[in-house]
Amino acid sequence: MYTFEIVRAIAVIVLGATGTWLLLPHRHGRVKPAASNLAGAALSLIALILLATLWRAPSNLLNGVFFYAFGIAALAGGVLTVTSRNPIYSALWFAAVVLATSGLFLLSGAQFLAAGTIIVYAGAIIVTFLFVIMLAQREGRATYDRMARSPGRATLTCFLLFWTLLYALISVRSPHSDAAAEGDMQVRLVRASQILQSKQMVPTKGNASVVVRALSPTNKLPEAEPHASALGQHVAGLGGALYTDHLITVELAGSLLFVALIGALMLATPKPPVRPGSSSQPPV
Amino acid sequence: MWELVAILIKIGIVVGISQGAVAYLILVERKIAAWAQDRVGPNRCGPFALLQPLADGAKMLLKEDVIPRYVTKPLYILAPMIAIIAAMIGFAVVPFGPVGPGSPSLFDTTVEFQIAPNVDIGILYVLAIGSLGVYGVILAGWSSNNKYSFLGGLRSSAQIISYEIPLGMSILGMVLISGSLDLNTIINWQDNNVWGIVVQPVGFLIFLISAFAETNRLPFDLPESEQELVGGFHTEYSAMKFGMFFLGEYLHVITVSYLTVVLFLGGWDIPFVLDQTQVGWFIALVKVGVMLAKVSLMIVFIMWVRWTLPRFRYDTLMDLAWKSLIPLALVNLLATAGVVQLWRQSWN
Repeated sequence: MYTFEIVRAIAVIVLGATGTWLLLPHRHGRVKPAASNLAGAALSLIALILLATLWRAPSNLLNGVFFYAFGIAALAGGVLTVTSRNPIYSALWFAAVVLATSGLFLLSGAQFLAAGTIIVYAGAIIVTFLFVIMLAQREGRATYDRMARSPGRATLTCFLLFWTLLYALISVRSPHSDAAAEGDMQVRLVRASQILQSKQMVPTKGNASVVVRALSPTNKLPEAEPHASALGQHVAGLGGALYTDHLITVELAGSLLFVALIGALMLATPKPPVRPGSSSQPPV
Repeated sequence: MWELVAILIKIGIVVGISQGAVAYLILVERKIAAWAQDRVGPNRCGPFALLQPLADGAKMLLKEDVIPRYVTKPLYILAPMIAIIAAMIGFAVVPFGPVGPGSPSLFDTTVEFQIAPNVDIGILYVLAIGSLGVYGVILAGWSSNNKYSFLGGLRSSAQIISYEIPLGMSILGMVLISGSLDLNTIINWQDNNVWGIVVQPVGFLIFLISAFAETNRLPFDLPESEQELVGGFHTEYSAMKFGMFFLGEYLHVITVSYLTVVLFLGGWDIPFVLDQTQVGWFIALVKVGVMLAKVSLMIVFIMWVRWTLPRFRYDTLMDLAWKSLIPLALVNLLATAGVVQLWRQSWN
């Protein structure tokens, strides 16, 4: 059973990689023969069908329906974002991806993250993209929109990553399709405190700090069930986790943004042109 | 199961009432406009022109729906839908009356005056949905393939993105003080202490100004300024598609008024008269009525301002947001945070 799944996963990767490589546009933007596109589409389709055979029905129906609706919407939106000919449509499909992802966040109980993603990405960044695209590209398409940059290497990298993901998923899930065991496995993957429990770890001198951090109350954010007693814990919990466990990360991210701002200012400042006879040296 | 039915009924009531209210708000606006300009205004359809909204609605629905040949059709049709949907679903977390322990019950089901009670991130949800509304305007402007519409759409996207920042920051002061993003908790805090306008006067002012800009109301109606842009982003729209933009705008006005009342004017609270300990059907309905009255006053205020202030020039509009409101909101936020921290340290 297990080896069979691995074989199927390998087939998915190989067929999918070949199909995608055949489907990608030409390296220099030339027209590719229709036969190669057809073969690519067929191979990708077989890979998709094989991938679908690895799928198992969700345990919780209503959650499952919403999960697959949002998940499929996000994937389809992602594909359409890269394949749309018109950059306006690309941006709009990207917005659809963001909305679907926020739906997934909501399903996993991360309300703050969902709202934040919509406000920052869909509400501000993509609107700015649209603004720029609408002003900049009024007619026609440049050649660089129709060519793929090193398609072979890109396909290889992407499918290597995909293989890693698929292998990890197959090896982690229990060989017997038991919903309860699977749920248990997911829980164990998410919650640090339960990993400690299952591994029977006790605080010793070597790992004391690790154990204490995993057990700290602010690190239990995913455990806040939407309908349990934890109502009103999301935002406070997130704030607590960010400013106690991850304080350095937050500060680093802030400093990084600040440095980027200064860099952007440096790049954007118009430099006075160097004229012959002026005392200043031209930049090297 | 019954919970689901109750929620559907609630959604039906809210949608029905808000749509009907919009029709009559248009009449109210026309009457106020007439009053401000020393005219009579609509007075032909029924007593006090009360049937005018029906005539207007029928006109919108029965007119020929023209789709010009040069537009980008899918986006042209999508844009009004986005405008109205974004305006509608913001109502999901707005409390219309008392919510929480002590709510009245009907057939053994507690009746909460809110479609989605106890959403932890209430105010953030409203901001997120509000930020999606800009898509309707910018897509309408672009897909119309018309210079006036396009300019209107671009102006609007820049304006709405700019004013979202002071809007969000002005709310944060109130959130810091009450310690929650949940709208009901904010109302309860104001009931226990004082109205938000007393502790956050600057925040209230910034919120009000930004809310005018977010709803595209005068003096911020640059996206559709008639004298410069014919009709702005909705120049090419006719019949019900235009009606949907119209509806969306008025729904926004209602949402913004509700938010102002909830955040700064105490929600259903009247000091020394109504508080959280009073429960029961009668009190609950009184609280809904009080809130409705406050919201109506707010809406009348918004319409009144329309005939008081002239429209901004575009560069002054941007200056107001980036050079005045945002620094002011930042200072206000910092000061509030400092005071809240000192207060908590000295009292706990």
